[in-house]
Amino acid sequence: MRDSIRMAAAAAVSAAAMAGALGASPAAAQQVLNMGVGSPVTSLDPHYHQLSPNNAVSDMIFDKLVGTDAAARNIPGLATEWRAVGPTTWEFKLRPGVKFHNGNDFTAEDVVFTIQRLPNVPNSPSSYAAYARPIVRMEIVDPLTIRFHTAAPYPLMPMDMTNVRILDATTHANAATEDFNAGRVAIGTGPWRVLSHRSGDRIEFERNPNFWGEAPAFQRVNYRMVTNDATRTASLLSGDLDFIDQVPTSDLARLRRDQNMRLSETVGLRLIFLGLDHLRAENENSPFITDHEGKPLGRNPLRDVRVRRALSMAIDRKAIAERVMEGAATPSGQFLPPGTFSHVPDVQAPAYNPDMARRLLAEAGYPNGFRITLAGPNDRYINDSRIIQAVGQMWTRIGVRTAVEAQTWSTFVGRAGRQEFSSFLIGWGSNPDGSHPLRNILATVSRERGWGASNRGRFSNAEVDSLLTQALVELDEPKREQLLIRAQRIAAEQVAVIPLHIQTNIWAMRRGLTHTPRVDELTRAQDVRPAAQ
Amino acid sequence: MSAVVGQGTPVVKDPGAKDKVETPFRRFASEFMESRLALGGLVVISIIILLAILAPFISPQDPYDLAVLDIMDGRMEPGSLSGDGSITYWLGTDDQGRDMLSGILYGLRISLTVGAGSAFIACMVGASLGLAAAYAGGRTDSIIMRIVDLQLSFPSILVALMILAFLGKSITNVVIAIVVVEWAYYARTVRGTALVERRREYIEAAECLALPRYRILFRHLLPNCLPPLIVIGTMQVARAIALEATLSFLGLGVPITEPSLGLLIANGYEYMLSGKYWISFYPGIALLVTIVAINLVGDQLRDVLNPRLQK
Repeated sequence: MRDSIRMAAAAAVSAAAMAGALGASPAAAQQVLNMGVGSPVTSLDPHYHQLSPNNAVSDMIFDKLVGTDAAARNIPGLATEWRAVGPTTWEFKLRPGVKFHNGNDFTAEDVVFTIQRLPNVPNSPSSYAAYARPIVRMEIVDPLTIRFHTAAPYPLMPMDMTNVRILDATTHANAATEDFNAGRVAIGTGPWRVLSHRSGDRIEFERNPNFWGEAPAFQRVNYRMVTNDATRTASLLSGDLDFIDQVPTSDLARLRRDQNMRLSETVGLRLIFLGLDHLRAENENSPFITDHEGKPLGRNPLRDVRVRRALSMAIDRKAIAERVMEGAATPSGQFLPPGTFSHVPDVQAPAYNPDMARRLLAEAGYPNGFRITLAGPNDRYINDSRIIQAVGQMWTRIGVRTAVEAQTWSTFVGRAGRQEFSSFLIGWGSNPDGSHPLRNILATVSRERGWGASNRGRFSNAEVDSLLTQALVELDEPKREQLLIRAQRIAAEQVAVIPLHIQTNIWAMRRGLTHTPRVDELTRAQDVRPAAQ
Repeated sequence: MSAVVGQGTPVVKDPGAKDKVETPFRRFASEFMESRLALGGLVVISIIILLAILAPFISPQDPYDLAVLDIMDGRMEPGSLSGDGSITYWLGTDDQGRDMLSGILYGLRISLTVGAGSAFIACMVGASLGLAAAYAGGRTDSIIMRIVDLQLSFPSILVALMILAFLGKSITNVVIAIVVVEWAYYARTVRGTALVERRREYIEAAECLALPRYRILFRHLLPNCLPPLIVIGTMQVARAIALEATLSFLGLGVPITEPSLGLLIANGYEYMLSGKYWISFYPGIALLVTIVAINLVGDQLRDVLNPRLQK
């Protein structure tokens, strides 16, 4: 019976593939690219909402002073070179001869206008203002040279500029977010021009013939938002779409077998990890931890580093990566993957060792373990609710009886932010620079400094804080990297969080296309090209 | 409908009655047995109830105990041996390495408990309000019946979703949601029958005796409204089971570590395209068989208990 089902499935697939091949002649295929993305784009205003899907589309329409390559290393964009000309001054040389889609010239005036606009976008759900804040003064040296003056040495200036899409001072002088969304002023210097935009449904692009960089490979692009996983895969298989992102892991095995499909994948920058309650003191109760009879413990076991290590060691990360994630994840012991700036080379993914975990628990005074609830979202990260169930199994096996509570993201994230949980699963998409996770997740929470914005477990370590303080004003890159590595190593030794794995970003396309996979998850039409014959 | 029902209580049609004393129950039972299909349904339901009750003793695994699940046994095909060789997964495993057979047996427990429990509570609430409406008449009647109309004009799944969004998800809240959705059916049915019965002489007689109102309602009126109530109650059990499965499928019912049939189906749904059919398929079959069996029994009950269909 199984064989007949398999045969029927194979027949259906080949029929779909043939239909796809007949429907799109090779010449037409070069003309239009139908892309399906899993997350909706919320706005075409490049300074409205910091969100990967929005940034991907902004990258198609606009350009930044500093671009990033597929591995998230800085490359020249609208600036051809940049350097710190003084301890508090960065100079950017701008690319000559660049024109906006409407023919206006790109000059230093546009950069000034853009930086000034960042903090002034009304109702922004996640603002870009932070990138303008370090700049106290802008100086136009000549139309193609601009200097940013900062109050203190600021090594992150080039990286900040990889997040800022440049607008036209004349076209966008009074443009509101709605004008961008309507397509009227969705005008940049990028490789694609917007033809039409239906919010939450699709965006149509055409090639910008005057683009300063490598010419796009397709005449037109239909950028469709297909949020249902099964529909997205089915549309690709039926030939309705040529290219999809966020391939569901449950469909991976099948797409890998399919002769007419190609996958493109790379280790990403998003770490999935478990946050732990560091807020309650040693002699306080953590909200979701009790003894086996359900009575409060009178202490917070998570404040003991041996307990944290035991919980981390009890997790078989390889099993999760292989069985739950279908191989679309790499076990990790830190935020950044190998090969990125400030990756800690000597911190590996903690090895699975349940016996050692039980010993550590006994040493810490919990020979019989305790009871805990592990919370997590069920609609945010790839297989999120499945991962917490698997971790629940593994913790229960070392004596820490785990109840699992999965809920929708909006409820979950609010509760996590109010420190309502004892342990919870969450993810973090990093910039390829250790200062980013350090500042947001591992640093002691401080509103004045803007630290610990996502430190939901309230981890706090003076040494980490002091190393980070030094790194944030260090202009010498090798020295800065060492500071960041030392800080991250301490966080790993102290098990500030329990890292699980770094997600693999996966795209799928029909045969005949190639794609340059990006660690930053962005799905952009300029990264797709016809395959060499 | 009322005109036909008014023609009189069921009379013994068979003139050549057997010597045996014909009690109403015996007559009812023999009429019910006339349909082989319904009898089969009854047998199937009995087996399912027995399986559900005995689940903790006959399942190969406690599917709700995380300690015995092994993620490495996840998504195994039916008939596979577990990694440590201790059990054979006759119906395969789901993504967490949960034995599907055990999962289905335990899932049936939840489905039947929620189905029967919510149908029973809805019946109590609905029947009481229906009786009250019919007996009191006037404004009470209009108010109750307009609420019923309002309730029935909304799709039940939508109402249930709203209630669960408001109350939060738990098995008790699922029961509450189903009761809120279903009481109206009972109320309407009981009112219809009670309106007819209310004008009968025996009610008048009871009123002449100055019996208290609750006594007339529950001791005289209600027993005579039972036949349609039994029929609709059986059907509603099936409906409640389906509704619970739907809510669980949408992720609003039981906790993920204690899946009911609906959640088991939802867990396997994503793997359908990959050919791992068994995760959704077998719980689906179990759900289907349960609901069909209950409906077969319900259909025959209606035929037997509805005087209009008397041969």
